[in-house]
Amino acid sequence: MSLGRIVTATVGLAVTVFLALPLVYAVWVSFSPDSFLTPPVERWSLRWYAAFLTDRRWTAALVRGLAIGLVAALIAVAAGVPLAFAIARHRFRGRRAIAAAVLLPLSVPAAVLGMGLLPVMHATGLWGQPLGTALVHGLLGLPVIYLIARRHLDGVNPHLEAAARGLGATPWQTARRITLPLLRPAVTTGAAAAFALSLNEAMVSLFLATPTTETLPALAWAQLRYSPSPLVAVASCVSVAVGATVALAVTHRWTRRNGVERTAPSTVAGSPCESIRETL
Amino acid sequence: MNRPLTPYLLSLPAAGLLLTMLASPLLLLLRMSLHRGGQGRVFYVPGTWTLDSYHDVTDAYGLRMLGYTVLFGAGVAVLTVAAGYATALWLRDRTPRRRRLVLAVVLAPKLASVLVVLFGLQLLLADTGPLNRLLQAAQLSDGPVRLLRGPVGAVVGESALIFPYSILILYTHLTTIDPTFEAAARGLGASAWQRFRRITLPLSAPGLALAGELALVWGMGAFLGPLLLGGPAETTLSVEVHRQAFDHSRWPRAAAEAVLLTLTVLACLAAYGGAVRRWRRRT
Repeated sequence: MSLGRIVTATVGLAVTVFLALPLVYAVWVSFSPDSFLTPPVERWSLRWYAAFLTDRRWTAALVRGLAIGLVAALIAVAAGVPLAFAIARHRFRGRRAIAAAVLLPLSVPAAVLGMGLLPVMHATGLWGQPLGTALVHGLLGLPVIYLIARRHLDGVNPHLEAAARGLGATPWQTARRITLPLLRPAVTTGAAAAFALSLNEAMVSLFLATPTTETLPALAWAQLRYSPSPLVAVASCVSVAVGATVALAVTHRWTRRNGVERTAPSTVAGSPCESIRETL
Repeated sequence: MNRPLTPYLLSLPAAGLLLTMLASPLLLLLRMSLHRGGQGRVFYVPGTWTLDSYHDVTDAYGLRMLGYTVLFGAGVAVLTVAAGYATALWLRDRTPRRRRLVLAVVLAPKLASVLVVLFGLQLLLADTGPLNRLLQAAQLSDGPVRLLRGPVGAVVGESALIFPYSILILYTHLTTIDPTFEAAARGLGASAWQRFRRITLPLSAPGLALAGELALVWGMGAFLGPLLLGGPAETTLSVEVHRQAFDHSRWPRAAAEAVLLTLTVLACLAAYGGAVRRWRRRT
């Protein structure tokens, strides 16, 4: 075994353990029977889960987060998929500019966006409205969906669309019968990713959090900063479980409908989106 | 489909979202930073134009914070890209089953919540936490080593949030390299180091450049790691923006800091881009 292999294996294992350990430890502590932040060894309890589920503030934040996540995913799909189509299939003025601009939400620091959004929300009357948070989360999901849809579109043979047009289909029919069904896996993956992103988004949510818009991360943040308790871990476990169930249920129903083969352009094996779907 | 309006109509929703939720916040941020600060519960005095906030932000304290933010971002970027690259290289040579398992572990923190990861790190790194007890049991230190509330905690915390992305980007780029290249090089007698130096490294350079760029941007914009695991003395600009806006209700000052952060990030990106271009021309 060469030195290089030893180094990469050591670092790789160390990084993997480093990434897994905090999560495992936090979940372990969430079964603690008392308020000490030590992992339970002999006595395990669901006390903190009961505390979470009986507290109106936490459950309301959970439900609100799910609703915001679904709306955010819809917004991201409605904006990102048509854009990916326009950029992949059309040449038009401003194409390069918008193709670059759509990636900006990935790299604008959250504090900058959050600070700028404060006056925007106040000016538009969206302050304290969950819709405002959903719109921002939609913006954050936009580049993700766009990239996934774009990659899929590059894998879809444009001759299929040309053939449909040649056979007399209108542009709308072509989009509905050929392009959209072929794009379905990308849309579901992208929507699931945007949903998960919104559910866990903590930073912008924190800037926009009011009692009527706070989601779990915003609520957990205050706990974490001032009085850490296993409730934070419980909140995260519950939100992951519920979020994964909702995402799976929605995407499953959606992919089943119309009975389209889901495997159509599987050119993206091993890409981030595939891995995300696997883990989801 | 060839009507000239179609692409514009298709881009309309995205353009609208980008304009209302991205462009207008950035513009209003600029305007907000030029207001005079208010007193008490008043966030700012409407209708005023002044550069006071920029004057406040660029004092010695502000500039030290700016320097810390840049150093912090660079440190996090170097750490996550170097260790992430090693991890991706290691991952590439695993069996498909192992690879899926490791990828799931790497992605799990992103699907859980950033806060639960930081909560776990808070517990693990605490003065009386498992890591410190381990260190003392191994006689490596007498008292507790302060891992939290300092730069170490902040870097560790923020890196934990960025690692999944850098590993994924680097790994996807590594998998696009045609494996026959390496096999051919091996057949021609190239050593493992030569194969890495001449084939893997140049072909994964775009991935390294991208991962580095994103890690730099996210590291400099770091907020949750420094806020929850870092010390009060060394804060990044993002933390300071939040503190000014919410703890002190000084919106113009917070906005000026946000503008300063944006300009710094842009400057660092330009410098980084130049360095990457020079490096790739050389290799």
